[in-house]
Amino acid sequence: MTKETEYAIQVEKLTKRYGDLLAVNEISFTVRKGEVFALLGPNGAGKTTTVEIIDTIRTPTSGKVTLLGMDVTKKKHDIVRRIGVLPQGFSSFDRITVRETLQYYSRLFCCVNIDIDALIELVNLKDKTKEQYKNLSGGLKQRLGIAIALVNDPEVVFLDEPTTGLDPRARREVWEVLLGLKKKGKTVFLTTHYMEEAELLADTVAIISKGKIIAMGSPEELIENNTNYLVLTLQSVDEKTFEIVRKMGFDPVLDNHKDIKTRVEHTDDVQKILSAIKEAGALYLGLDVRKPNLEEVFLKLTGEALRDGPVGEEGAE
Amino acid sequence: MKPRVIGANLIVKLMSVYREKTAMFFTLAFPIILILVFGTIFMSQDNVAFHLCVQDLDQTDSSARSIKTLKSSGKFKITKVDPAVNAARYVRDNGVNLVLVIPKGFERSLMRSMMLSDADASVTITYIYDPSSSSVSTKMDILNAVFAGINQQMSGKPPVIRSAQKSILTKKYRFIEFFIPGIIAMAVMTLSLFGTVNLNTELRQKGIIRKLSTTPITRTEWILSDILYQFILAVISTMAMLLVSYAVFHVKLHLDAWLPAFILLDVFAFVGIGMILTRFVKEAQSAASAANAISFPIMFLSGSFFPIELMPGFLQKFAKTLPLYYVNEGLRASMVFEDNMAALRYSAVIGVFAAVVFILGIIATKWEEG
Repeated sequence: MTKETEYAIQVEKLTKRYGDLLAVNEISFTVRKGEVFALLGPNGAGKTTTVEIIDTIRTPTSGKVTLLGMDVTKKKHDIVRRIGVLPQGFSSFDRITVRETLQYYSRLFCCVNIDIDALIELVNLKDKTKEQYKNLSGGLKQRLGIAIALVNDPEVVFLDEPTTGLDPRARREVWEVLLGLKKKGKTVFLTTHYMEEAELLADTVAIISKGKIIAMGSPEELIENNTNYLVLTLQSVDEKTFEIVRKMGFDPVLDNHKDIKTRVEHTDDVQKILSAIKEAGALYLGLDVRKPNLEEVFLKLTGEALRDGPVGEEGAE
Repeated sequence: MKPRVIGANLIVKLMSVYREKTAMFFTLAFPIILILVFGTIFMSQDNVAFHLCVQDLDQTDSSARSIKTLKSSGKFKITKVDPAVNAARYVRDNGVNLVLVIPKGFERSLMRSMMLSDADASVTITYIYDPSSSSVSTKMDILNAVFAGINQQMSGKPPVIRSAQKSILTKKYRFIEFFIPGIIAMAVMTLSLFGTVNLNTELRQKGIIRKLSTTPITRTEWILSDILYQFILAVISTMAMLLVSYAVFHVKLHLDAWLPAFILLDVFAFVGIGMILTRFVKEAQSAASAANAISFPIMFLSGSFFPIELMPGFLQKFAKTLPLYYVNEGLRASMVFEDNMAALRYSAVIGVFAAVVFILGIIATKWEEG
């Protein structure tokens, strides 16, 4: 299998500068055909700049990007017919209905045989076909955006932060749609700052920070290769419990719900902590021991949190 | 270039404007309001009659006859001022700009002058006026002309120089008929320029242009769909303006194929300018200001509202560099003078201009971001 047939996207030493700001710094990676690839990073890390160069919205400062075997800076006209894009902060014509919007985009691609009803069904907008865009909720708008990205039956789908700004329920509804795409075997390039989104949907995750890719692999590989501890959570503890854990040499963190989280190296440590609490007559209402997640991997690799603010806040890339 | 793509854009834009009733209403209403306001002003100018206050201090048959002569000239509506009041105070207190004072001894001086041919017996009628009023000098010029006529008649000699009026037009036109083509040209310019700048900056701000850049639509297809869309709106607007003009002012204008041709050229030129402007204006708010900054000088300097002959020489030269001047003159050539050769000349100038800005508009329109 040649590189062209194996990979949908090949990025080599991609760099993008905005004046003095180095947004993307010589990054290289490949995306296999048929995989879901997630570019994970906090706001301002360079995710949108990277995806917008690959999907032909922006031009690179240097480096080479090959999409479906074509140079993105030279073959834009041929590339756009074979890709689907949901840009960041997607919007559409306010007074045009869901069905009319899909018909409009299908005409732009000159898709005569496109099954609009099937697309509507795929994104679960059957009850909203006559609704004007301005009357749709945030989640419904994003689902329509995904349907538009699929209107030309693309080989590669780019989704730039498809769930940013959505409430948890709407986010899960979008995930359902994306899982449907995965089942259909589409190559999906996803950017997100939600680690649970990347963990749930992606075959490969690339973690980007300050314009550099700092780790890449499957979610399991990233966790396995970058952590050697477990996370113990004790729920609804009293002050005594917190002190006991701290005095045992661990580094507990107390949250607003009076839960404490601490890293432990082995399950024996969990036993030791529970015995000490029992002996001291201290209290806790529940416990959870689990492997670290991508958020903790990110924290370990960069020393900063994935989300700077509350869920839904948007930042420029 | 794919007609299907142009058609798809056209349909979306037309549906959007059709469903936004308020925008649609004001698009049509603005030029109609202009026609009604200016039409009413100019219609009354065709039969203008100034308000004139007269204070008759003589109170004789001769002074009464003179007032009657002024009245019968058709240029004045007379208000008599009490001989007992101070004329200057009357001007200040009553907000009038001129009081004509017929002096005491008017009849006696007149008789002496006529009967005895006494040159020193001429009588002086005084204008007490407010120099800050803009129309007072026109009023005094008309009064002088009326009195010159009376003097000439009373001298009993035939005038040495006579004048005769001969219009170059076969029909007699009123000012409103010269005015309507200018308003059509101006309304189409405003519609195209503001429509293009507002729509495109809004779509860019909302990210729709960014989305469109990931589809096969080309810049040429996008601009052509915009031109077609603006042309349809311009035709609807022009029809509404003409209907109102015919119904309210009973205008008589010659309508032929030049009208849609000039509307199309007007749209081409100003959609092109709008596209160039959109490149440099980022926000929808500043877009409206930029469009205003361009359209207002063009509107007033290119002869839409008044003939450019009223302007200083250098402004007249400048006016002839403005695209709207050629649309105005072209429309007047076809709708008023019925002069096809002149219309052809003006259409050639605006046609070349429209082609250049259309190409520049395509170059300036940017899909990709830096």
